[in-house]
Amino acid sequence: MSEERNLVEKKIICVSCPLGCGLNVILSNGEVASVTGNNCPRGFAYAKTEVKDPRRVFASTVRVEGGKLPVCPIRSKTPAPKGKLKEIAKAVAELNVRAPIKIGQVLIHNVCGTDVDIVASRDLN
Amino acid sequence: MENNNIDVLIIGAGPAGVAAGIGAKKEGAERVVVLERDWDLGGILQQCIHPGFGLRTFREELTGPEYMHRFINMAHEAGVEFRTNTMVFQIDKDSNSVWTMNKERGIECLNPKSIVLTMGCRERPAGAIRIPGTRPAGIYTAGTAQRFVNMEGYMPGKRAVILGSGDIGLIMARRMIWEGAEVEGVYEVMSWPGGLRRNIAQCLDDYGIPFHLQTTVKKIHGTDRLEGVTVAKVDEKLNPIDGTERYVPCDTLLLAIGLIPENELTRMAGIEIHPVTGGPVVNDLLQTSNPAVFAAGNVVIVYDLVDNVSDEGLIAGANAAKFAAGKISPNVKKIPVKGGENVRLYSPQFITGESDTIIYMRVTHPIEGPCKVTAEPGLYTQKLRYARPGEMNEVRLKADVIKSKPDLKEITIDIKPL
Amino acid sequence: MNYDVIIIGSGVTGAGIARELSKYKLKIAVLDKASELPSGASRANSSMIHGGFDDKPGTMKSKFCVPGNKLWHKLTQELDIDFNPCGSYVCAFNDDEIKHLELLLEQGKTNGAPGVEIISGDKLREKEPNVSKEIVAALWSPEAGIINNFEAVNALIENARLNNADLFLETLATGLLFDEKNNIRGVTTNIGEFFAPVVINAGGVHSGEISKWAGDESFKIIPTKGEYLLLDRTTKGFINSFLFSCPSKAGKGITVLQTAEGNLMSGPTATEQEDPEDRATTPEGLAEVLKGARRLVPDFPVKLNITTFAGVRANTESGDFEIKVLKTPRGFVNVAGIKSPGFTSSPAIAEYVADLLKEELADRIKLIPNKKFIPERRNIPRFLYLSMEERKKLAEKDPAYAQIVCRCETVTEGQVLEAIRRGAKTVTAVKMMTRAGTGRCQGGFCCPRVAEILSRELNIPLDEITRHGGESKLLAGKTKEFLLKGAE
Repeated sequence: MSEERNLVEKKIICVSCPLGCGLNVILSNGEVASVTGNNCPRGFAYAKTEVKDPRRVFASTVRVEGGKLPVCPIRSKTPAPKGKLKEIAKAVAELNVRAPIKIGQVLIHNVCGTDVDIVASRDLN
Repeated sequence: MENNNIDVLIIGAGPAGVAAGIGAKKEGAERVVVLERDWDLGGILQQCIHPGFGLRTFREELTGPEYMHRFINMAHEAGVEFRTNTMVFQIDKDSNSVWTMNKERGIECLNPKSIVLTMGCRERPAGAIRIPGTRPAGIYTAGTAQRFVNMEGYMPGKRAVILGSGDIGLIMARRMIWEGAEVEGVYEVMSWPGGLRRNIAQCLDDYGIPFHLQTTVKKIHGTDRLEGVTVAKVDEKLNPIDGTERYVPCDTLLLAIGLIPENELTRMAGIEIHPVTGGPVVNDLLQTSNPAVFAAGNVVIVYDLVDNVSDEGLIAGANAAKFAAGKISPNVKKIPVKGGENVRLYSPQFITGESDTIIYMRVTHPIEGPCKVTAEPGLYTQKLRYARPGEMNEVRLKADVIKSKPDLKEITIDIKPL
Repeated sequence: MNYDVIIIGSGVTGAGIARELSKYKLKIAVLDKASELPSGASRANSSMIHGGFDDKPGTMKSKFCVPGNKLWHKLTQELDIDFNPCGSYVCAFNDDEIKHLELLLEQGKTNGAPGVEIISGDKLREKEPNVSKEIVAALWSPEAGIINNFEAVNALIENARLNNADLFLETLATGLLFDEKNNIRGVTTNIGEFFAPVVINAGGVHSGEISKWAGDESFKIIPTKGEYLLLDRTTKGFINSFLFSCPSKAGKGITVLQTAEGNLMSGPTATEQEDPEDRATTPEGLAEVLKGARRLVPDFPVKLNITTFAGVRANTESGDFEIKVLKTPRGFVNVAGIKSPGFTSSPAIAEYVADLLKEELADRIKLIPNKKFIPERRNIPRFLYLSMEERKKLAEKDPAYAQIVCRCETVTEGQVLEAIRRGAKTVTAVKMMTRAGTGRCQGGFCCPRVAEILSRELNIPLDEITRHGGESKLLAGKTKEFLLKGAE
């Protein structure tokens, strides 16, 4: 059996923490074979998701009726697929929420079919 | 809401002030009052709605409002009093009287036993860099734009150029994109980024926003609303290079050209200001040149991480409480700290050795390779993989090590390549 | 709309004439294209009230400068305008320049400028320790002073309005109206026609064009840009007065001064240009200012710079003012080419114009004294300058004075509301009337707050509020709108 290995090197910056380590990722047939440059195990985990299913926390605001502010900050409770962020931004833009709002309150369940919830990130009366 | 018998008065309810309140109560101060000029608590973190805060403190990345929510709850539980919509507009030099104004209460004078300054920092304005050209609408500091977008619900413009690569600028680049605006590019006059590398990655690279180092805005165009800017490469003296100019149409210019500790009140109070940090000179108790006045957070030195700001707030609050209770000797020994090789700024500038302490510092320029942080004589050594101006370094000093050297006259901190 | 007099332009000249003419029973309209006052050269200048030694005897400038100076000393009291009678020095670095001081001294005596004298460099340094050690002598003019030019123009026009003059902002004069005898009948504007038998051209840098409408092309305005550096108010006391250089081939020379509010300032350059509206600062201009500032004051603390700005002055080929009643068409008065010492001269020019109307245009309008004329006007309270007792009283009376809007200049919401009551509609108008936004953060903190107050008080959506009128909207719309529109 011939061993045809397709090796690819990728340089990415880990965004897991403020250190922002520069990672060198070696992919073998699309799978992470090695990660160097990371200061902690989070870097390795980050590299694994980043090459296959890159995700980011989405943070924005929603329009609010009857609140002390006209908008309330929101976030995706967990990281959402990077490719879906634009779609999520639009879904959030369409939303109108009535005050009062509690921090952590789910405003959109399973946004754009991503299994990710959009939650309020502050109290707003 | 009695004005007498305030033990510790804290000015500003951002991360430093709220933590100072908690620190003061935990140290046993009876009455701890935090004054806040806004209608709500949280300071600038109210408008920092992106995640990235508190990883060290809470083991998870919170948004600014989420981070403050936790601290504010802790402060309420600890019995800290808050007064919102209350602005301090003067501190008298000799009496330490604090003058406040509030629409319901009018103008009042408070005379606390000790004070903690936690006013945070402000952004360097356009005037600080003297960009030639016109003065149209559409030029904002990134933080002002952030407030418009995240709190008022308005967009500063449709097509932005960002000058400076401080973190708020990078964060605002992404924020503008997420609101459907365009960001033409980020321009940084230095040869290294001002903000964190991960923000370059997740705020610019993710969205294909070009990042131009050693480039600046040379001219502003437009009389009513901003119409465009001329950008140009700069030489090693940071002067624009003729022939490299390019006109960039845009309706918005966001400035992220640095933060300055906010010390109007500090100056009024006659407290010594450090010429490099722009904040008050402090010792490791976070006590200023006025023994009754303490200071913490970005009002002292601009930090990268809010965790550090909260840590310092706790320390300043606790020491202010001790001072109010008469537990800090006025004759405490103060060993000066000197910044040595490659050190641009640092705080605190004096060490008492009363407890373990951290000196926070920044390098003058990037050192891309192994280097070593030291505190001489022989107090601390730490190896680093690199040192960059955008990322603070720390010198950790142990009280027992300081105490073991009774003849210590001076501490010198350096960052040297290996 | 029918008036007795229309004044085109509400700079210090037009506003001064309006105030002077409001002493008579006249219907006065003042037109200005800007959204707030002052605009043009009256906004961007050295804010100097000159001592009167600089003008060649026999010129119009020499005729009006010294009386203008005297009038300002009185007017600043009457109209409650911030004024610092600090005096000025012309600095000489060598013997040639000392000769120039001697010339100025002679001129000063001829012009009637009081108290002008030459002092030694050392004597100057006793008063101004931060000036160059190379200065060997200086011409001291004790009657010179520095005025808050924003307040001055607003004070004049407010007082004129109190005495029944009408002000029309955002009103651009586009031409003249003539009667069947080809005499003046009025002015056309972007908002309609204004009728009056007398039109006064106080159009500043545009006064040449306006004069052409009346057929007088006897002079030409050469727009001349002057660039400035303005420093933080923490520089207060670094220089306490007004320092001139001696003029050289390179120009009249850069000055260094402390504004009435205590900011250190330097400028102006003098660059002739075609475009009367080009107020862009330039790298070359700012470098020239800095070089000139450092020549006078070697440690000029430019690190504390908070903004740069430029004004465009209405220079004339003759170098003198162009003030006259045209023979034809009847009813047209040029008050043109008013540049330095124009601000100083303006109250004396205003009196002169009133005399001209009496003497030369009596057939068209009658100047009957208005017995109800109220000469006084009070400025919006300057919270920053008040004692703590005065502040407390103000805040008790009106809680809006217990809310800071501009933290750099300690401007309260009460002041902003009062400015709006007095007609402010833009962020810059509030700035001109209260100083909110003139400090070290240049509106970074207060601009959104001022905009919110304007929006609330004038009942205009926040995204319709402008910086300075026209298309200068601060904001581009609400969040989510771009996303939703894009989605449609």
